[in-house]
Amino acid sequence: MAAEGGGNGLAVYALRRAVNAIPLILGVVVVNFVLIALAPGDPVTSLIGEYPAPPEYVERVRRDFGLDRSLPERLGLYLVNVAKGDLGFSFANRQPVLDLLLQRLGRTLVLMLSTVVVATGVGLLLGVLSARKPGSLTDRGATGFALLGYAVPEFWLGQLLILVFAVSLGWLPAGGFRSVRVDYTGFAAVLDTMKHMILPMAALSFRYMAITTRLTRASLLEVMSAQYIVAARGRGLSENAVLWRHALRAAALPVVTVIGYNFAFIVAGSALVETVFGWPGIGRLMYDSIYTRDYPVLLGILLFVSVTVIIVNLITDALYAVLDPRVRY
Amino acid sequence: MTWLNPKRVLIVLAAFLLAAPAIAQDTPVKGGTAIVVLGSDPEHLNPGISTSYPVGAVGVNVFSGLVRLAADGRPEGDLAASWTVSSDNLVYTFTLREANFHDGTPVTSADVVYSMIEVEAPNHGRFKTAYDKIASIEAPDAATVVITLKEPFAPLLSLLTVFDAAVLPKHVYENTDALTNPANNAPIGSGPFKFANWVRGERVEIVRNDDYFLEPALLDKVIFRIVPQDVARSTALEVGEADLLWGFYMPPADLPRLEADPNINTWTGITIPALYFVFINNNTPGLDDARVRQAIMYAIDRDQIVEQAQGGLGQAGSGPFGAGFAYAYDEATDYRTLYPYDPTKAKELLADAGVTDLKLRYVYDSARGAFAAAGDIMRDQLRQVGIDLVLQPAERAVMVDRVYKGDYDLSMQSFTSGGDPAIGYHRIYHSAEAGTPFVNATGYANPDVDAWLAEAGGLADQDARATYYRQIDEVIAADVPVMVMFDELASEASSAGLRGMRTLLDQRDGLEFLWFAKP
Repeated sequence: MAAEGGGNGLAVYALRRAVNAIPLILGVVVVNFVLIALAPGDPVTSLIGEYPAPPEYVERVRRDFGLDRSLPERLGLYLVNVAKGDLGFSFANRQPVLDLLLQRLGRTLVLMLSTVVVATGVGLLLGVLSARKPGSLTDRGATGFALLGYAVPEFWLGQLLILVFAVSLGWLPAGGFRSVRVDYTGFAAVLDTMKHMILPMAALSFRYMAITTRLTRASLLEVMSAQYIVAARGRGLSENAVLWRHALRAAALPVVTVIGYNFAFIVAGSALVETVFGWPGIGRLMYDSIYTRDYPVLLGILLFVSVTVIIVNLITDALYAVLDPRVRY
Repeated sequence: MTWLNPKRVLIVLAAFLLAAPAIAQDTPVKGGTAIVVLGSDPEHLNPGISTSYPVGAVGVNVFSGLVRLAADGRPEGDLAASWTVSSDNLVYTFTLREANFHDGTPVTSADVVYSMIEVEAPNHGRFKTAYDKIASIEAPDAATVVITLKEPFAPLLSLLTVFDAAVLPKHVYENTDALTNPANNAPIGSGPFKFANWVRGERVEIVRNDDYFLEPALLDKVIFRIVPQDVARSTALEVGEADLLWGFYMPPADLPRLEADPNINTWTGITIPALYFVFINNNTPGLDDARVRQAIMYAIDRDQIVEQAQGGLGQAGSGPFGAGFAYAYDEATDYRTLYPYDPTKAKELLADAGVTDLKLRYVYDSARGAFAAAGDIMRDQLRQVGIDLVLQPAERAVMVDRVYKGDYDLSMQSFTSGGDPAIGYHRIYHSAEAGTPFVNATGYANPDVDAWLAEAGGLADQDARATYYRQIDEVIAADVPVMVMFDELASEASSAGLRGMRTLLDQRDGLEFLWFAKP
């Protein structure tokens, strides 16, 4: 965090971080590749299906997908292809991996981004409410709610939400990305998808809402005893102005850090939640490809996840500069 | 549970068939869209290069085969209007109907020959079994296909259905790689439905083919909706987001709930027979003694496993080939009388064999709830006779790796018969292909059994086959290379308005007969 000053300091910093990320991504790819290759289970078995196949046929399938080569040979070939922008060919889907990822990407991003926004927004609000009067009923309510969020697993919450809101009450669809019976177009289609998104988003965001609430509360309580807050109060500012304008800005720093940190966990959580709700996104694809030992797809997703996490962390660091005048790049 | 003997099951089946006209009395009407649940995305939609369940579910409704299996298991004409078999059971001559592919091109004998030889023989696990017995497939004229066998092979016709030998359009596949041809994702067949649309991970849509060579379908459209989580599948049906849930995807625990729902119809019975059994590793020290394997048979209460692990959707094992094929069943060696639940007898046999402190690993596919539940029950019951069972759940790919390389002691499996014991069940006992996945993994090799299985598989006459199966039943009953657990009963559930189900054996087939009763 060298204090270079000037408008392009951030750009230089971002570029340097991006260059630094290259060996990191390379490391991620190599480790993933080796780990997946060493995991027990043979992709050819799931490709052929549950029926005995003649050995020469099995050998041919193995050859067709390049699985007869040695591990270093496969790894080298994969790295060269990735550098060229080719993520390989899916065994199970018989489609280029990149095409598959791009088909699913939008749906997962919509789900993840709205989860981050809702979890952060609600979490901040609850955190502020409970920090305002520690020990009050609101505080205890919000803290208890947050504790629940830590304790409840996403897939279980998802199933519970389906039972309550789809089966018993019939308010919301039980799963899927849009209605199957009716073909909506235009705005009605957007509304339809939003309706389908409410439950998975709720299931996915609960935990991060909880983390944000707890963190905001703790960090606010710490800031509220700082001298500049005492000074602000001394100048006669209203308690609300002190809280929202002065304290929260400083208290938000760790919360922003956690957004970046959480992002990777939200991707992991989406694999479960997308499976429970039949949401056809990247998380589902990951779950399916683990099950069928579809190595190229799995590697492609892990690569995508690691790149996304690096980008999100970069954005978080940039946000520091905006939030905290002491931070300069 | 003696009331569920094979005869009873047949009577129930017959009663059902007799009841069918009563259901059919409200007249079928055209129109409507049915939503059918699939548990996972199909890999592609070409049933000619895969035996995968979801590929078949969609594919067999888009394509046709030479023959199809009627509800009684007998082959009837599909693309073939008729066929003759030579007196030596070696030459089958098929005459084709006039039919078109969905792109308007006529279906000819050249398409049949091309599909079988160029695409299915090298790429389709089950058709390969039939192709090994075939000397030649020829097309003397555009409407005739002649298949000549190397030796008589009883199940040939049941391997010429759309499931194992779909007729693909030669003009689309010729001079391309069948595995990567784009038509695999947008198939052109001659079946009752045409491919319309596929959103990966979400749905596949097929629409009625009005140019179908048999009676056109009644539904306008079928949407296969992909619901990966088993709990969510019954929910989809309950909240009206799906119309049909096949047995393959039915979570047994949810069945009572669906049965109680007035808006849902359920059905339970044997469709294509399938056998649940436990491989006993005959090479494990201790288990190499037949008396110990018999002791395990006595030590396990199979009725309890059916009730508690399978939700009652099974019939306790009656013999090595189950209860689905009358000619392969022998009352004299029925396991339910031969091997009742008898822990005392089990202990005697173990003492006879001089086996103490036996510790066995039970390896199973962790995704199969019934296998896990059966493991719990087996552990308790084996403990009572002094055998220690260690449960080792493994992810499916790992389980396959371990079991078929012999790294297990007991392992529960379920095999489909494929419509004939020679197709699906012989592999459990035959020693020929040991070491490859989904065949005999026990190390049991009996030259007599191998030879009799080969004979039984070659004969078309069921009485003649029965003689061999009796001999096999007797030897297997003493040797106990595997523990036959139960015959699977399938159940399916549909929205109350959906009619016309199960005119054929395989649940995936015959969507063209479905229709919606007007409420």
